[in-house]
Order: sequence, then C-alpha cells, then structure tokens
Amino acid sequence: MKKEISRSKEFFNLTMMFGRIYKIRVIRKLGGLCFFGVLLFSCNTSDTSYEPLPKHVDFNFHIRPILVQNCYLCHGPDPSSRKAELRLDIYEGATAALREGGFAIVPGKPRKSELMFRINHEHKDKIMPPPETNSVLTQREKDLLEKWIKQGAEWKPHWSFIQPKVAEEYHEAKIDQFIDEAIEQKGLQKAPLANKYTLIRRVAYLLTGLPPATEDVEAFVLDSSEQAYEKMVDRYLDSPAFGERWARHWMDLVRYAETKGHEFDYPITGAWKYRDYLIRAFNNDLPYDQFLKEHLAGDLLEEQRYDSESGLLESQIATAFYAMGEGTHSPVDIKQDEANRIDNMIDVTTKTFQGLTVSCAKCHDHKFDPITAADYYALYGVMESTRFTPLDADQNLAKEITAKEVLGIEAYVQKTVADKIAEKYSEIGLNNEKAPLETSNYKTLGDFRGADLDGWSTTGVAFGSGTTLGNPTIHPATGKLMKLDEGKASSRIFGSGKMGTLRSPDFILDTDFIGVRTRGKQSTIRIIVDNFQLIQWPIYGGLTQEINNAKWEDYTFNVEPWKGHKAYIEILPGEYQQHNYKLHPEAFVEAQYAISFNGDWPSMVASMQTESSTAFSEKQVNRYNNLLKKGQMNLHFPELITALDSTKNLSKTIENTAFIYGVSDGSATNSPVFIRGRYQEPSEENVPRRFLSALPHGNEPFQSKGSGRLELAEAMLQADNPLTARVMVNRIWHHLFGKGIVETVDNFGLQGKLPTHPELLDHLAITFQKEDWSIKKMIRYMVTSEAFKRSAITEGEMSEKDPNNLYLASFPIRRLESEAIRDGILAVSQSLDSTLFGPPIPTYLTEFMGGRGRPEESGPLDGAGRRSIYQEVRRNFLEPMMTTFDRPIPFTTFGRRDVTNVPAQSLILMNDPFVIQQSEILAQNLLAQKELSFDQKVAWLYMRTFSRKPTEIEVENASRFMNKITAMKKSELDKADLDLEVWKEYCHSIFNLKEFIYLI
Amino acid sequence: MSKYHNFMRKPLSRREMLSICKGGFGSLAFMSLFGVSTISCNRSKYDALGSGSDILLGPHYLPKAKNVVFLYMDGGVSQVDSFDPKPRLAKENGQDPRKKFKVDATQFDNVGKILKSPWEFKQYGECGMPVSELFPHIANCVDDIALIRSMTSQFPEHTNANYFLHTGSGLQGRPSMGSWMTYGLGSENKNIPGYVVLDGGLIPPGGLDNFKNGFLPASYQASILRAGPQPVANIIPKEQIPNLQEQKLDFIKELDEKQLNAIGEADAIESAISNYELAYKMQSSIPELTEFKEETEATKKLYGFDSDDPHTRGYAAQCLLARRLVERGVRFIELTCPKVSADRWDQHGDLKDGHEKNAHAVDQPIAGLLKDLKSRGMLEETLVVWTGEFGRTPFAQGLNGRDHNPSAFSMWMAGAGIKGGTIFGKTDEYGYRVIENEVTIHDMHATIMHLMGIDHERLTFRFGGRDMRLTDVHGHVIKDILA
Repeated sequence: MKKEISRSKEFFNLTMMFGRIYKIRVIRKLGGLCFFGVLLFSCNTSDTSYEPLPKHVDFNFHIRPILVQNCYLCHGPDPSSRKAELRLDIYEGATAALREGGFAIVPGKPRKSELMFRINHEHKDKIMPPPETNSVLTQREKDLLEKWIKQGAEWKPHWSFIQPKVAEEYHEAKIDQFIDEAIEQKGLQKAPLANKYTLIRRVAYLLTGLPPATEDVEAFVLDSSEQAYEKMVDRYLDSPAFGERWARHWMDLVRYAETKGHEFDYPITGAWKYRDYLIRAFNNDLPYDQFLKEHLAGDLLEEQRYDSESGLLESQIATAFYAMGEGTHSPVDIKQDEANRIDNMIDVTTKTFQGLTVSCAKCHDHKFDPITAADYYALYGVMESTRFTPLDADQNLAKEITAKEVLGIEAYVQKTVADKIAEKYSEIGLNNEKAPLETSNYKTLGDFRGADLDGWSTTGVAFGSGTTLGNPTIHPATGKLMKLDEGKASSRIFGSGKMGTLRSPDFILDTDFIGVRTRGKQSTIRIIVDNFQLIQWPIYGGLTQEINNAKWEDYTFNVEPWKGHKAYIEILPGEYQQHNYKLHPEAFVEAQYAISFNGDWPSMVASMQTESSTAFSEKQVNRYNNLLKKGQMNLHFPELITALDSTKNLSKTIENTAFIYGVSDGSATNSPVFIRGRYQEPSEENVPRRFLSALPHGNEPFQSKGSGRLELAEAMLQADNPLTARVMVNRIWHHLFGKGIVETVDNFGLQGKLPTHPELLDHLAITFQKEDWSIKKMIRYMVTSEAFKRSAITEGEMSEKDPNNLYLASFPIRRLESEAIRDGILAVSQSLDSTLFGPPIPTYLTEFMGGRGRPEESGPLDGAGRRSIYQEVRRNFLEPMMTTFDRPIPFTTFGRRDVTNVPAQSLILMNDPFVIQQSEILAQNLLAQKELSFDQKVAWLYMRTFSRKPTEIEVENASRFMNKITAMKKSELDKADLDLEVWKEYCHSIFNLKEFIYLI
Repeated sequence: MSKYHNFMRKPLSRREMLSICKGGFGSLAFMSLFGVSTISCNRSKYDALGSGSDILLGPHYLPKAKNVVFLYMDGGVSQVDSFDPKPRLAKENGQDPRKKFKVDATQFDNVGKILKSPWEFKQYGECGMPVSELFPHIANCVDDIALIRSMTSQFPEHTNANYFLHTGSGLQGRPSMGSWMTYGLGSENKNIPGYVVLDGGLIPPGGLDNFKNGFLPASYQASILRAGPQPVANIIPKEQIPNLQEQKLDFIKELDEKQLNAIGEADAIESAISNYELAYKMQSSIPELTEFKEETEATKKLYGFDSDDPHTRGYAAQCLLARRLVERGVRFIELTCPKVSADRWDQHGDLKDGHEKNAHAVDQPIAGLLKDLKSRGMLEETLVVWTGEFGRTPFAQGLNGRDHNPSAFSMWMAGAGIKGGTIFGKTDEYGYRVIENEVTIHDMHATIMHLMGIDHERLTFRFGGRDMRLTDVHGHVIKDILA
C-alpha cells in the first residue's frame, strides 16, 4: 500500500470494513468447522434457496443489520467519512434527493429507488457496496431490501433506543410463553425437566457460587411438597453466599482491583470495602435504581443511605468504582494522563449502566451508533468536574447526629457569649482600622480568617461547617471567658484524628508559587494539577508537603512547570503512604489562607473576609481579645461549663479509622471537544455537561454547580430511558442462562447482537421496574421458569437445528467460573472458611510472578480457605488460577467472560500444589469417617462433589482404580498411609472430572 | 509453498478429533495448536457471540519469517553509546545542552552537561557499520543486521513505553504483539505454547501485563518460561511413582467419556477432555526443552556457556533455549533481561559501569544466537529483533548518567526477509532527535507482522464496538530494510 493512500481516512475505513465483511463470509461458509486454512476469499453469493422472507420486514431486525455491515462506514452517522453526502442511518437522509439526482429510497417504490438499482448494478464502478470493500450482498439481503421498500420502507430508531413495550397479547405472559413460542416456531423439541439433583446443583452454583451441601440435596430430594423447588430457591437467595457470587459478577464490570498497576502497583485505599458494599447490596436486595444512583453519585444524594444493621453510611462507598482504574506513575504529559483516565471512566460507566460504547466517540462521531463526539465530551466534563478523594468508610448515622449536636452546642455557646458581650460592651472604636491595600505580587486563593471557608469545599466531618472564628475559650473551673478564637480552617473542630478534606475551587496556575499558611501534625497539603493523584518523585514530588509544625508556617509550592494547567489545593489531616491514605489519631491540620504569588512570599497578606454572618466578625474578635488581654473585659459563664464538657465527650465518639478511595464534586467544568481525540486541539466552544443526546432528556444541560453526576444518574433512571432496565435484566439472564438475550451484554448499540427474544427482554425490563428494581425478585422469577429447569441433555437433531442453543430448548451446558471452581474445591474438601467481608487475603506468589511492586511476602497457598472474592486482586500480580480460568484482566468492563479451553487449565487441576493439598485434606476428612463402608465413602464423595449418588458402575470403577493404585503403592507404605495415599489419588482424580467444573 | 505447509491445516471436525481420541491416554496425535486449536473447537460459539473475534486466518500472504525472537533490552540502551556514534558529543563534552538545543521535559528533570560516549566506535563487516566497544561480538554480525537509528516512542516513562512497545498502546490491558501473532497465525507445535517469554530474571516495569492477551481470549497470553527445574508453572507432575499419573488420567478420561455419552453433544466438554492430552504431553516436551543434553560443547561455547560472568552464562542459556523454541515452531519468543547488578539498561547514573555490565551479559549470547541460527539455515526463517523501549539522552543526568529519551533510539532486526548491513534513519548531530525517516513503534509492529505474513491492517478483533488492531490506526511497513 502506498503511504499517501493508507494515511487517508477512507482507506482506514475501507480496511476496517475488509476485516468485518471478511469475517461474516467466513462464518457463513464454515459453520462450526475447525478451520486452519489460508485466506479464504469471499465468493460471489447468488444463492437462490434461502430461508423464506418474513411476512413483514422489520427495519431493526432485518434491514438495519444489512445496512450496518455494508453501508454505514461511508453512509452512516459520522460526517467525516461520509460519501456522496448520502446517509442511510436516518429516514430523512435515505429519502432525500441525491446529489446526482433521484432518491436512494422511495418508500413503496423499489423500482424508483436508486439503492435497488445500485446494489444490482452490473458495472464494477457503480455497484454498491464497491467491490474493493470485498462486501457482496446476498440475494436474500437484496430481496429483503426490496420487500422492505415495497412495504413502505418504515424507519425505526435502533431497537434498544425505543422504550420497552409489551404487546397487548403478552400482557399476562410469563417467561415460558415467550420461550415456548420461539421453540415452536423453530420446530424444536423441548428437553424434559432436569432431575432434582441436577436442579439443586444448578441453583446452588448459579445463585451462590458453591455446591449444595449434602444435607440440602437430601432434604430437597425428599421434599415432595409442591413448593419444594421455590423453597429451595429462596433458601439460596437468602444465603449470605448469594451476595458473594453476584458481587463478583459486578466486579467484572467495574474493573475491580485493589492496586493501581502500572509501574509500582500502588494500593487503592480501602478497595475491598467497596467489595463488601457490593456483597451487602446484593444480599439486602438493594433496589437497582438506588444501586445505580449510589454508584454514580452516592456522595451527592440528598437522602443518604445507611446500612440497617450497622448504621454505616453506605451510599458514598459505591463511588469507589470510579477510582478503580489504572494509575500512572509519573506521566510526563499530565493532561494526556487525565484524558486517558477520564476515557476509561466514561468507557466503564457507559458500558456498565447503558450497554453503550460511548468511548468510540472520542476521536469522531460514533461510526455506527447515534453517539456524537459532543456526547462524549459532555460526559468528559462530568468526569473532569469530579475529584478523587479518600472518604471516611466508617461514617455512620450516630456520628453524624453527634457531630450536628456538637456544632449546635458550640453555636449556642458562641451566641450566649456574643449576646452578653454585646449587652455589656459597646462597639466603639471598631471602625477605626483601615483595610490594608492589597499588594500586587500575590492573589488570595482562600482566606479562612473570617467566619466561612471562602468557597472551599469539604468532605467528611473534620472541618465542620465553618472556621473557628469567635469560638470562646472558657475556664473549665471558673467559667471565665479567656479568649475568642481567631479565624482558621481547622480539622480539629471535633479534636484531632478526624477525617475530612478541604479543597479550593479549580483555578488556572498562573504564578510560579502557591503558598499556604498552615500548621498541624502528620497532615498533608497537595496541589492537584489536572486531577493527577499519584504525586511523587521524580516529577511531581514538589506538589505535596507534609505538615508537621505546631506554630504557623508558610509553605511554598513551586508550580512553575505547570503554568497554564488547571489545579486545586487539597488540605487534609493524615498522610498518603505509598498513596495509601492513613490517619494518625494525633493528626490535624489548620490553615489561615492560601495564595498564589511570584518572587518572595508577600510581607503581608491582607484579610479578604468581609463582614461575617456569624456571632462575631474578625475585627470584633481582635478587639475583644485585646480587651480580654488587658483585663478590660471580665465575663463569666459558669452555666456553659457542662455544655462545653459534653461537646468534648461527644467529639470523642467521632472516630475515623477506615477509609476508602471515592469521589467528591469539584468545580463544574464544561469540556471542549478534542478534535481527533487530541486535547492539544480543543474546539472553540465547550459542550455543556449533559447525558447522551440520542436518549430521552439527553439534550438538557446539567444545572448543577458541581459535576452533574446526580443528574446523570437521574437521566439514566427516567422512566423513558430505554436502556437501563434492559441492560440489567439482560445481565441477570446472562449469568443464569450463560448467554444474554442480547449476547453482547455490554453493547446494545448497532454493532451489538440483536436480542433473540425481544418481547421477552422488554417484558423482563418492564417487570423489573414494576417490581421496584428488585434483583432478587428478578432472579427468582427467572430460575422458577420452566426454561431454567430443563435438562441439559440434548438429542442430535435438536442441536443441529439450533447449534448454539439460542432458543433454550435445553439448558445450556457451561463451565464454571474460576471462582466457582476454586471455591467448589474448598467446599468439597471442607476447608472453606465462610467468613464474610474483611481485608483481602494476600496473593499467593509463585516464582513466575515477578516485577516491580512485588509484595515482600506471599500469601497462603490455600488463600486461608476464604472464598475467591476475598483474595487480593493486585493488578500486576493477578492470581494465575483466576486468570487461567478466564477471570478478565481488570482494565475495562467485561460483562461476559471468555470461556477458553487451554492446557494450562488442565495443568492446574493436575499439578497445582493447591489442588493436591485440597485432595489430601479431602481424603483425610473422608477417612476420618470410619463408620462408612467403601461404597458409602464413594457415595459421600459423589454427593459432595457432584450433588448426586454414584451409579453402581461408578462405584465399581472407583474400586478397580483404587486397587490398581494400591498395587502400585503397596511396597512403600504401611496400611494407614496407604489408605490415605490411595484415597488422595482418587479424590484428586475426582476434582479433575469435567462434571466437577461443568454445570451440566 | 510446500515449505509453509504448516500454515495449511486440514479442517478436522470435533467428531473426527474425538474418534482419534479413543486410544489410550497419550496416544493422541491430532492436529492442534496450543491455545488455538483448542479454542477453535469453540469457534462456532465464539462467532455466534458476535464479539467480532476473527476466525483463525493464517497468514495473509506468503511469510518470510516463521518465528520471531524478540530481544528486549529493558530500561533503554543508549543509542549514542551503541549504534549511533556522535562525534559532536566529544567536541562539546561538558557544555550546557540547553544552550545548544531545546531540551524536552525528562522524567527525572536533572539535566546535566553534554556527555560524550565513554566508548570508541569502529566499523565492522563488509557494510562498515559502526558499533561501539560495548558489543564486540554483535559487531561481527553486522552484515546480517538492518539497523534503524530513527526509532521514536511516545512515552518517556518505562511502564507506558513498555506497554507501548509490547502492545501498541501506552495503557495497561491491551494484547501484546506475541498474542496478536499467535491469534493470527496459531502455533506450529502442539505441545508447546505459541508465545513464550523467557524470563531472564527481570520482569519489566508494567509487569506481566506486557505479555498478556488483553481483550483477546486468555489462550493467547504468553507462557512464562524460567530456567530451573520447573520451567513452566505446574509442568511437573507431583506423582512420584512411574505411570501413576497415566493411571489417573486414564481413569479420568474413562469417566469423562461416560459422562459425555450420557449428555449427548457437548463440544465444550469434548475439548476440555482433549485438553488433558495436550497438558500431558507438555509435561514432557517442556522440560525436555530446557535440558541441553544434545547440544555440543562447541555450540554452548558459541553462546558463552563458558563465560566467567554468570549473567552471560544465564543469558546464553536463554538464547540457546530461544533457538530450541524456534526449532519447535514457537511463533513468538521474547527474552527479558538478566538481573545484572545494575538496574537493567536504565543508567540514570554511572552509565559506564552499568552499560558495560549489561552489554557483557548479552553481547556474546546474542551473537552466538545469530551465528548458530545462520549456520543451521534457520536465520532465513527467523526474525531476530533487538530493541529497548526508548533511548537515552545525549546529555548527562547528574554527572554520569543518562535520562530517558523517547525522541530517538536505535533498534535492529536480523534474519528472515531483512536486508543485512542496512542502516536506516538518521538522528541529529547529538543523537537527540530523529531528523530523517522516523520509525514509530507502530511501524515496527507493522514490519514484524508483514514479515510474518500478516497485513497489520487486516488482523482485527472486535472489542467494545471497534475492530481493534495491534497498530491501532497507524503503522507502515519499513520497506527499506527488507531484502
């Protein structure tokens, strides 16, 4: 290829098309064969016999797929690659007058439609799609187009952008009616219902990720009541293990990890608390709308949610999902780093909650979906206005009430003192001082010497609601007024060791230095440039300083290298140790003001605070303190002593010891569009923050002063949003049936798969909303359907008619996920520690896991017997068993895991020390039951492992096998050891059976 | 064409495969590609998912190279001290670089004076390519080498640059080039993975993600091979008694097949059963690889097995292992650096000492590999690539180190399809920036793929609504270095 051509966009588009079209052909040609051949060039397809055309040709289900695959690269939504000014993605475009005369489509008149003429053209220069695209329409596709035009060329928005609707005849329908109709239509034969052993194993694994306990299997098999199945389902829905399984599903979507990866794999503060939040949310059946809202804007909710048991503030913890991304160590281009980070946040947010690939619109309008670059940058503004922050993870209602109470008492005390002063001392002389002139070499960024925090924002409790101005010090014994506090921002309103942050609004760095006058202990001030958090050597070390001084000091930050960048100042008690937030009980920080300046620190920084709305102004405090000092003011408040005492005691209960990395709101920023995705080329106008323009309410700019995340959540939850409920019920279906109704669970766009059962999907979406977004009810509804209860056993003919089992005539066989395999081994061997929640178990490190950031010590081989969800997820040291069995690499949303089949999996089950260890434990536990006969032992093992009884042949096989092994080992061991050894080999073999890792 | 029969596979149905499977354990000899054939059994499923996973293609056109040996010089070799001599540095040694040219932001922001190379350059071979004293052995192979002096990267940080070099993107989580290669071509050997990383002791910054499959199926990730008794994780059977494992596997297979017959058709389970055959065979084929019994003393000596330097000996073993992997048809082999006392090639200080130690560890083994491949006629079909993730600054960091420089560095390729003795591209008089024929990492990927018979614009994988490529939307084949 010549360079000039290949650089052009058309060529790129063409080649993209090559790949795709080629693929379709190959699939068509090859069917299910294993194919290892060389390139197969597509041939002309003029098939005459094909599946009959539908009576009514539907635009979404029959026509659009043809247009997407063959036409949209040049005639789609992206204007930059559009040819002949023709667009076929909208009705107006397709029916508009063509540049060269005529109309592409004349509804009702295929013969007058240029499109029909061109797709049937003989000449290679005229035929569409052009030959160089390697794309050829089949006869059926051409006939479909013709019939559709004849029927009036009805246009519809993409199916997933139309609100779910259930036709009248389906109003009373349940899941099985939809499924059965399709089965009938396709002429398939339904498999019989599975037996009870199979069913309980299926339900237990799919609901809890663990095999059913033997007693439960036996009880269920014996329970002949009509409600036996439902009761069994409810038991698993109520099991705490339910949340553990479904939380892990969710963690795949939000790229869950406990470290930041990149060069040094720094920890993400308290990531596991988010994991625990998820487990609680699923176990408590938190309604999905609330769940979504907490994820997007849990820190902004007017009505916060507290855990009913512990009283813990839950809602803000969910925002940790934003902060689960990769963190770059010392990026030289900090603005690009921000763009990458935000891109990932948009990608994950839109895929997870809307099933849309909005990130495709970073460099240009989406090639296929009605998502514009402006949409992307509208969301970019939302993310850019969002700040990362450590949050208090053990915040609870009691603490909040206490804090309010303390502040109330303090206000009362201050007012009492103020009133008395006002009564006794006149205001003479107050206005004599002149405000000093502001000098020119500095600018005030924040001044806390007055009563308020000067527009800076806080998180947590530590900084209270204002400065300390005018807080009276009263002698604890006599009640004598000693002094009034000067104004300052202070993190010890409730004493030291309290969590909170104080942050300036965004500003543009335009001087060489930032200065903060401050004092404190084991605390930190940071200058956050372009939202960059991993501040440290070699480039960024100067942007953070530790505060450790009892007296006021001036701290200077050299910000000269980042002039022109956006920044804010962060003041917080506590420290980031290797980027992990820690708060010492003694830690506190206080600040008087922050400035930006050039040259030397200004000789005086004038107070900018105006008259105060609280009891005292700054001037009054100065004057009264003078009087107090000189003994000219003599006041006693013995009645306040108890009140002040009580505040001290109350404050002690506000403890902060657990933290999580989440978000808070920054300054509202609208972003320009970055032309071709390059931030160096911003558009002239900014895009207001808003939702996606193709969706309801997508054109209404967000009004919030902060990020607009709450409005984003609300837009997604509007009753007319067509995606939110559909995407979630489809995910649930996917986890239960192994395949979504829309198979591309993260992509409901034009390139995603069409739903196999569109009416069913809509029925479920509507039901989901009607049932208050209850995930448990939805799961219950699905697993009590007949479709779910069908046997997996297939007859030859059946599988040929529906080789991918799209229509669910039988239950799809599937391999268990990595977690279920490992947890199953632990459960069977009775090594499982079913403790819920808590810090992660450190990763077991093999010699193959090297590199920077490697922890000094390895975790235990058996992960302390805890479930896989509690094993640490270190980005740069992912657990090999998990990744080998297809747990996704946590970098973006994966709603559907790959299911690969590689020797490394077999090698793990054959040779991994963990599996060997568990086999031995299992054998020990088995032999400890001395009362069991040989047959009973085998039966015990089968029940635990496969949730069923062994057949006679299986017992025989076992016996034969163990005899052989005994013969092989006999010479070396005495009887007791021999028994254990032989059973160990048997147990190990049992773990290696496909029946153990497949759900059949 | 017959020479490339390995790319032509006869389609084999699952039923056929299974019927071959009926023999006792270990007798199975069906055509299968590590991680590729096994998944291809699931292909029909895969395609039905609409994930856009492209079907296994084989090469787009007749390949020059069947295998790649990627010699990764972790940390960044200094170009002006190795393959890109700059006399002007000697003339202006000790002067302030900011007075001479515009200095970019560097990661350590500790710009010192212009620093001349501590090593002399001499011309070698018929082509007369200048090489510094650091590489006396490689210098004798220059007539087989095409040198590119005009490489650039986009990132001055190791981790981003490593991801970029390995995956074509500076971010974590994209498939590495070895994954793309095996995804596109499969492996030639059924008992050894198609993509192997020989861990010399240093996993580069960014960790194992440099070698991962990203959004491609997990079967395309690299297998890490280490020196020592257990070269690959879980490759050694734990059963102490001979034939015990076979007994167990026969037992497992018997029960599995009974189960399978009861179910009816279940492709996934069929392939899982056949997986055990592969796994079993790997247990012997992999350790056999790392035993050098049949290698002659002369061969070992050629690589530097008799060196006084333990790091040279270690890297020699890696290089010899690489040749053995090539012989066995492994598609893509990467060698990471040995753990010499200096921190990889990343000499922020004490350039002379660090670079000398690193060079000493790799020079003879690499030359040995080139000569050995050549004498066996294998170099014609093997592409050897030597590069770091970026170069180093022509001025000092502090007094005697050099900082990262993504604006210019040298790499070379040798072997299949390469025009030996070529020098391509040019840097300025300081070796700081490229001034002629810039070659990007994408271009390098495109060229490697081209030599392997892959059109880099056509090997795609649908993910997240896009047809992803190793080269994203960039990359041009560097024709000038091709034979």
